[in-house]
Amino acid sequence: MNDYMIELRDVTKRFGSIVANNRINLGIRRGELMTLLGPSGCGKTTSLRCITGHNIPDEGKVFIDGIDVTDVPTHKRELGMVFQNFALFPHMTVFGNVEFPLMIRGINKRERGELVEEALQLIRMEEYRSHHPRQLSGGQQQRVGLARALVYRPKVLLLDEPLSNLDAKLREEMRFEIRDLIDRMGITAVYVTHDQAEALALSDRVAVMNRGKIEQIGTPTEIYDSPQSRFIADFIGLSDFLEGTVSSIRSDRGAAIVKVDDLEIQVVAGPNMEVGKRALLFVRPNNVELFSKTHEGGTNTFPGEVEKITYLGDRNDYRIKLSNNIRLRVQSDSKALFRVGEEVKVCLLPDQCRVIV
Amino acid sequence: MRRGSNLRSTGVTLSLLLPGLVCFFGLFFYPMMVTVVRSLRPEGSDTGWTLVNYISFLSTTKARSVIVLTFMLSLSATLLSILFSVALALILRKKLGGHRFFRLTMLIPRVVPGLIGALGLLLLFGSRGWFNLLVMGVFPFVEKPIQINYTVPGLILFYTWLYFPFTALTTLSALESLDPGIEEAADVAGANKWHVLRYVILPLIMPGILAGSVLTFMAAFGAFSIPLIAGGNYRPLSVEIYKQIDLTPARWSAASARAMIMAMLQVIFLTIYMRILRRRSR
Amino acid sequence: MNLLRIYVKSILRGRKVLIYTFLLCFGLIIYVPFIMIMLRSVGKNWFGRLWLPPELTLDWYRWAVEVTKIFRITANTLIIAVIAVAISTLIGIPTGWAFGRRKIPGKELLMAMILLPRMIPPIAYALGIAQVFYRLHLVNTHFGVALAHVAICAPYAILVLSATIEGLDERVLEASAVCGANRFKTFFHVILPLILPGILTSIIFTFTASYNEFTLTLMTYGKDTVTLPVRTYLAIGEGYWEVTSAMSIILVIPSIFVLFMIQRQVTPEKLVGGFKGV
Repeated sequence: MNDYMIELRDVTKRFGSIVANNRINLGIRRGELMTLLGPSGCGKTTSLRCITGHNIPDEGKVFIDGIDVTDVPTHKRELGMVFQNFALFPHMTVFGNVEFPLMIRGINKRERGELVEEALQLIRMEEYRSHHPRQLSGGQQQRVGLARALVYRPKVLLLDEPLSNLDAKLREEMRFEIRDLIDRMGITAVYVTHDQAEALALSDRVAVMNRGKIEQIGTPTEIYDSPQSRFIADFIGLSDFLEGTVSSIRSDRGAAIVKVDDLEIQVVAGPNMEVGKRALLFVRPNNVELFSKTHEGGTNTFPGEVEKITYLGDRNDYRIKLSNNIRLRVQSDSKALFRVGEEVKVCLLPDQCRVIV
Repeated sequence: MRRGSNLRSTGVTLSLLLPGLVCFFGLFFYPMMVTVVRSLRPEGSDTGWTLVNYISFLSTTKARSVIVLTFMLSLSATLLSILFSVALALILRKKLGGHRFFRLTMLIPRVVPGLIGALGLLLLFGSRGWFNLLVMGVFPFVEKPIQINYTVPGLILFYTWLYFPFTALTTLSALESLDPGIEEAADVAGANKWHVLRYVILPLIMPGILAGSVLTFMAAFGAFSIPLIAGGNYRPLSVEIYKQIDLTPARWSAASARAMIMAMLQVIFLTIYMRILRRRSR
Repeated sequence: MNLLRIYVKSILRGRKVLIYTFLLCFGLIIYVPFIMIMLRSVGKNWFGRLWLPPELTLDWYRWAVEVTKIFRITANTLIIAVIAVAISTLIGIPTGWAFGRRKIPGKELLMAMILLPRMIPPIAYALGIAQVFYRLHLVNTHFGVALAHVAICAPYAILVLSATIEGLDERVLEASAVCGANRFKTFFHVILPLILPGILTSIIFTFTASYNEFTLTLMTYGKDTVTLPVRTYLAIGEGYWEVTSAMSIILVIPSIFVLFMIQRQVTPEKLVGGFKGV
């Protein structure tokens, strides 16, 4: 037995000439919440549908709980799923919706009633048991969706963009509620979303997908702090990119110097960096500090000029011109205010400058 | 000022409605009233009031058999249409190869004149038609052609052929407006195809099926040309009415009384049906 | 129930074969009647248990043209249909406008009333129409028969046009007014082009309804206004099945044309639609 609850091995799925999933290998551990994150059309939903059985892979195999389920029909896979548009049965009450999976399984009426009540308590919807879905708000409907998915204790809970039809504030509340529910049930969960904030906040591990492939799998911190491709650095959070060449490596200090035009920038040394090789340097805009031009400077401090300012409430977003070719986006506290055209000093914190080779 | 413009606006609305109202009252309401009055006059007379036209029809045993036959034909055709339409719609929904062709095929009985459809069916199911040739060819023990034309089952078949598209079209559009996510939800929850059909799809498309079947029923109930040429000795109400004025001298009062009975039966039945439909869709 | 369940299961299992068998049977039962008519209309000496007629002939078509005066009758049918379509459309546009755009108290009830002729068996008010038209000497005139058809065509037109007009974008009309167009200009240059597809749909449906109408024609026709459906009925009664078949083939050609138009122009579902709310 391996410790994967779900495993996709070399799964390829094509729709006509489009390759939606290109040799996906993914293992989801027992009790883990794994998020499939990516822009729309990246193949994350296709992967999810390969797990549910609504898509049958052209190549490769799908395992659930160590059993090859590639050819097992959906209804025999013992899954629970929550949908983006809720997909509640409009002709049934809340109670009926939650009861449905139990009724299908031929569980007797008394036991069914108990299990449904228990599930309704879990989502705090007991008073709504005889309401119809259309009488409920979006958040309530999605909670019923959760109860319906969890009531028969499936092996895995699948969530397909469950929060994207809710408004922003509710979305944040529901995030924690879902995480809390999953922790309490100790269930393995696969969460599909295009919202990076959601992915980082919720997941044990994140698989970032792009163009039908998995680009990186890791914990939210790993994904955010050391992205392995420009796509990920760009997709998750904000990034400034600078292209240059490695001019020297000081492995004793774990640092390296990258030359971008005539600026010499000290960065965190990474594996397979070589002197003379091209390097893509990236830094998060909120890891760049701005000082007035009288600031005396230090490592990675360069003069620049403010080109544009956008007010964002808690912060300001600056566009800084370092030289003719180099422009940086910088976000800083809105207390220190610079004006357009003002000359400033920019400090790229050396331990926050990373290189993608 | 306000009041003036309100009045004017009402005037405009009324004058826009006028053509429709003139049409309704002139070509429907007034003729209906003429029929009502005629049904209450003694035969061949323009004065005096009587109920004898109703009584003389309703007191015969024939009246009961005609009414029962009319209902039986239209209800059977409606039920058959529902069964057939649900199956057809479930298949056409899959968008298999050639589904566009079959969608168009479905409309044919509604587009060609009913008389021609009936003529073709009479030829197909006649004793020398392809149907009987096929049956006798395949089953050697069938020695005589099966009599279908001019029988009740034959009429039900003809009615279904002509009027099922109403049900099929609404069923199909109800089915296609279903959210596919709902079926997937049932599927993931452990429901096999039969369960999905029984507990999810059928209850959800029931309003569509019923709305279409009302149309099928109404058309079948009022069917005239088909039973006229394909009914043989079986005469539903519409033919019974026509036969009264096809006599010489024409019996207009008797025909009118029968027509009123038919209209009332249809309205009563429709009201009941709509009530069921409303309750269902609630 | 259990039996049904097993049956459905087996269908789902061997599904492709059964599905195509079903579709094949469906196609056959719809199309074969027309093939039978076609064969009958060109066959000669077709007796006994023969699948195909032994000799081919065009005699029945010649008969249809000479004896039944099919061209006269086709002309009658078309004239009547055109008059009926024109009147129905002229009724349908203003009334549809009232239903689609203006506030009317009890609108739904009024609509149900207007649609009543579609719910009552036509034979019931055809009796009344016949008596009224006799008195007005409208029987056996093209206009009279067409007017009788309007009873059933106008509700169609009102239904289709009110739906179209209701779907008009209010902002477009306002924009036109802002641009300085008066009501007249707005109507001809903005509204009419926008509702033209609806008018076309309405014309197709009312034409089909009039062209196929039998009951109302039978009650109001005379020797000068015999239409194709009535002539077909009479011919069936006379027992000349071959000639009837030939006539039917001629009669069915415009229907196929209409079918083609429907497929190209409008969603076929509209053909039956509009009754959900009644």
